[in-house]
Amino acid sequence: VHIPDGYLSPATCGVMGASMVPVWAVAARRVRRVVTTRYVPLVALGAAFSFLVMMFNVPVPDGTTAHGVGATLVAILLGPWAAVVAVTTALVIQALFFGDGGVLALGANCFNMAFVMPFVGYGISRALSGRVALTSPRRLLAAAVGAYVGINVAALCAAIEFGIQPDLFTAADGTPLYAPFHLSETIPAMLAAHLTVAGGVEAALTAGVIAYLQRANLPVLRINHRDVDDLTAGPPRRLGWRWAAIGLAVMVVLTPLGLLAPGGAFGEDAPQDLDLGRYGLKAVPTGLAKWSSFWNHAVLDGYGLGDGQNETVGYLLSAVVGIAVIAAVTGLAYLVARTVATRRREAGT
Amino acid sequence: VTAPAWLTEPEVGLCPCGCIGRRTRRGFVDKTLRGGAGVLRTALFSDEVSARPGLLQRIDPRVKLATVVALLVACGLVHRLAVLLAAYAATVVLAVASRVPMGLFLRRVWLFVPLFTGVVVLPATLNVITDGDVVVGLGTWFGHDLGITRQGLQAAALIVVRVATSISLVVLLVLTTSWTRLLASLRSLGVPRVFVLVLGMAYRYVFHLLGAVTDMYEARTARTPRPDTDVTRGRAFVTASAGALFGKAHTLAEEVHLAMVARGYRGSPRSLAPGRLRALDGVWALASVLAVVAILGADHALRG
Repeated sequence: VHIPDGYLSPATCGVMGASMVPVWAVAARRVRRVVTTRYVPLVALGAAFSFLVMMFNVPVPDGTTAHGVGATLVAILLGPWAAVVAVTTALVIQALFFGDGGVLALGANCFNMAFVMPFVGYGISRALSGRVALTSPRRLLAAAVGAYVGINVAALCAAIEFGIQPDLFTAADGTPLYAPFHLSETIPAMLAAHLTVAGGVEAALTAGVIAYLQRANLPVLRINHRDVDDLTAGPPRRLGWRWAAIGLAVMVVLTPLGLLAPGGAFGEDAPQDLDLGRYGLKAVPTGLAKWSSFWNHAVLDGYGLGDGQNETVGYLLSAVVGIAVIAAVTGLAYLVARTVATRRREAGT
Repeated sequence: VTAPAWLTEPEVGLCPCGCIGRRTRRGFVDKTLRGGAGVLRTALFSDEVSARPGLLQRIDPRVKLATVVALLVACGLVHRLAVLLAAYAATVVLAVASRVPMGLFLRRVWLFVPLFTGVVVLPATLNVITDGDVVVGLGTWFGHDLGITRQGLQAAALIVVRVATSISLVVLLVLTTSWTRLLASLRSLGVPRVFVLVLGMAYRYVFHLLGAVTDMYEARTARTPRPDTDVTRGRAFVTASAGALFGKAHTLAEEVHLAMVARGYRGSPRSLAPGRLRALDGVWALASVLAVVAILGADHALRG
């Protein structure tokens, strides 16, 4: 998943680096807040471990070997914010000391492997393992699934970063200036490699290490699982609103993918675009003709600005306005419900 | 102390993939041991080169880091192949002036770039990926005309030379700067203290933990009379040794913490004071700015 310099435009690298700045800032603040003196050596040794884990060759059934990234593993062992610092450090040592992976592309590499991968992997593994005992086999399954999904989402991010290059940066005569492949080629290529070999290696490595620690070194697993008992399961945890917010945020971030989808949605055609013969009709039904154009005062008609220009801007603006309106209505409904509930409680006492 | 040449120089004439010489399929134990030895070799080698009396070795690391990033951005913005080739030639001249061994400098770039970048961008020269003027027709496949396009060739050449130039610039920075001075320069470039501290400690303990990994793997090799090809057993060994490594790292972190506190660490790290900038640093910075202007100006002029 390491992206070398020269594949991404400096503008892309700048955007990815800038998007990592707040993540690094929060991670640095967290590192400082948690028991100040003990945490720094723990994270530093975690970083050295995460550098070396990328060196471990794991045997693959065809007789060759492959190596994993270990970001989900570090996130499960030390927590996702510590993993951000540890994996970033490992990537910086690789880039600035060994010249592996780019210096300009460091922001993009960190975004994929030090932010997306540990958070996705850790989130999934935590959700799947719930509050079962620390020695439960369910924790292995959760770690494996988390690592598998984590590396695939990271690879998807890398594929999107590669794939947008020819659409955004092309010379006047059509020569792509950076990575030349389109999204329709990068996404299948990256995912084919990661859904099979790399994902399997990552899952096997993560679950294998957790299994070993369950057998041989339980205190180490307790670093990031202080509230979980070794042998008995705790009470089931209620999913907080925060997880719903994270899920919604991911969907918001993925909105621009709609721009890439070909064709239109089923059953949403305008009456004049209907293939009447296919449905055995001779004319557009009168009801449909009358009511389909009954309301034509939409502010953002057809998810655009109305003039047919700047389709992308119009689409994104529609998305932002739509999200804002839904958030406002939901917030209002919540406020009303809370006020009513408070009044009732006061009336009851 | 200088390391003997046979220790730091990679084996000459032997391709790392093993296509020349004895062709044995290496197992995961051997590969990991070789990877560990490679890390140590790189560390010794760059220590040695950064102590040589060359041009780039005399430049302050802060200035060097900032100018290399500026030059990387400038090379990233170039659209013309000729300008990139000139920039690559300039990195070779800099390598000579900095007494970087030429064979290694060229090999490090030209072994990696054609193997990875070259193979990856090869399909992009076809008209199915990069649409444009077909220069070499490859006949009709499944009813579609297949051919290599001028735009595709240009794109492939552009990315190969761009990657080569970028890698050369980073290799120059990495080989001519000692790690401790680079670390001190990160602090004065605004990187948070916590990150610099973690980075410095991580780097130091990478070598310590690498020793532990090498010990585990060598012990296994010593107890293996003939190669073990069982994948499941191999994987169990790899994951167990990674788990044991984390256990060691955790114990070490506790000991390091106690040692730090015993020596007066209270949560506010100190870093090496960066040296004062000299006239040569100013000259180098000016030359780099001029190089950036020249690269972008020439590219703009050639684009017309």
